[in-house]
Amino acid sequence: MDQTTLINKDVSIVAYYFRNNTRRLRCFPKRMEYDGKRVDFTETGLVHPTKQGQRMIHVFDMTDGAADYRLEFDAQALSWKLVYIADTNYAPVSSRLAPAA
Amino acid sequence: MPRYQADLRLPLNTEAPQILHIDLNSCFATVEQQARPMLRGRPLGVTNRLTKNACVVAASYEAKAEGVKVGMTFSEAKLLCPDLIMIETDPPKYHHVYKELVKIMRSYSPDIGMKSIDEGIIDFHGTRQHVNRRPLAVIGHEIKQRLRERVGGWMMCNIGVAPNRFLAKTAASLHKPDGLDIITHKNLRETLATLELTDLTGIAERNQARLNAAGIHTPLQFLDAPADVLSRKVFKSVCGDDWYKRLRGWEVDNVEFDTKTIGRQFVMDDYNASEDKVRNRLAHLCESTGLKLRYKGFCARGISLHIQYKTGDAWHGRKAFKSSFYTTSEIFRRALLLYNQHPRLGNVVMISVSCYLLEPAMTNQMSILDEVNQERRLTEAMDELNGRYGNYTVVFASSLGADKEIKQKIPFGTTRYFELLCNRA
Repeated sequence: MDQTTLINKDVSIVAYYFRNNTRRLRCFPKRMEYDGKRVDFTETGLVHPTKQGQRMIHVFDMTDGAADYRLEFDAQALSWKLVYIADTNYAPVSSRLAPAA
Repeated sequence: MPRYQADLRLPLNTEAPQILHIDLNSCFATVEQQARPMLRGRPLGVTNRLTKNACVVAASYEAKAEGVKVGMTFSEAKLLCPDLIMIETDPPKYHHVYKELVKIMRSYSPDIGMKSIDEGIIDFHGTRQHVNRRPLAVIGHEIKQRLRERVGGWMMCNIGVAPNRFLAKTAASLHKPDGLDIITHKNLRETLATLELTDLTGIAERNQARLNAAGIHTPLQFLDAPADVLSRKVFKSVCGDDWYKRLRGWEVDNVEFDTKTIGRQFVMDDYNASEDKVRNRLAHLCESTGLKLRYKGFCARGISLHIQYKTGDAWHGRKAFKSSFYTTSEIFRRALLLYNQHPRLGNVVMISVSCYLLEPAMTNQMSILDEVNQERRLTEAMDELNGRYGNYTVVFASSLGADKEIKQKIPFGTTRYFELLCNRA
């Protein structure tokens, strides 16, 4: 079954912004602080926009190599929200045993 | 007067292939694996509802290798593949990938078409002399690369190039995943020789049985069959001529179909639901149908209702009206007229509403009846609120709470309502 823990809480994010040859500024959330823990993201899975009514929400599916995280960036409120943490059981054993940062 | 063309004789189409078919591999499952890297390389199934009777709507290649097929129930799939991970569909993700694919396709030709959420066609006719001078195989590899760059490295697609849509789709299914194949008049026979009849799109068990009855057992025999045998003996309709042309590389599938019906169906969340609950779900389906109807700018003159019972019986009712309608309350009122007639044969397990006899909505034409105008203004106000704050923010009391149970799922085949359906509250 799906291994998802719903969180739905605002989190603090450190993000890098890149401007490549396209004109758009690309965002890469690098670090998240949540519940007293620090999570360093290693890879972006998928970034896609979605709408909540007229509000534009950018969804970032991220991973730190030990779990998958869904973050939502509210482009109007400029706030980050951690929606869920998933797939912790499918991580490589070595990363699961690693001490928390 | 002969009904069919008796002596239709066409050679193979020797035109250079100009149709490029793109098929995303196990689309929903691949997109989920792209989004959630921990799931990559694992057997994954995507379903609309996480219940044991829900069916698999997409399976990853790892799951397919274990025997999991699309359409199986979760419990059946789990028996075959105990490690199977099932997750629910997430339409905005697929919508994003769909839009990216469309953007890529549009950059090559103005003549593109999406056959479904994960299949697209680029028609290169008229663009080869000035814009796309490179071989289509090179363009195909470039499309694969651009898809990986824009969506992610896990995304794969099959590409087929051929003189017509049917052969391009056949080419795209030859080497899964991540294949690129070209069918021309030169290699058509040797390609068909490697296939079974049911490998051809549009030939399933029934058509296979028809062909077998006429002594046609392989795609090559199908190709060699005369047109009159196909149209008179096998298909007994003009479909035979279409197949004759299709297999030879002539285009017969470049047709657009108009929207004939708009509706919604729902398999009840509770198989022992009370009458009130069924009416509540019906009201939500009418609300959803109204949204789609107005989104497409249509009004309807007919409504139909289909109900399945727990006993296995089914009932269908339809009614055409003189006046057209498009507001939610009108749809619900007319659906209730039908619903009240249904023979109570047991508990309702599935209910579906659809509007037919569609025509362009004349929203600027005021009615002489004040109450009709009021109702229209109310609908417009509700649509505006729901557009701003997300669908089903404001609903009729009769459907209150149903949107929590009837979740918006990904539509197969049509991509007409994507923008509308992805506007969550």
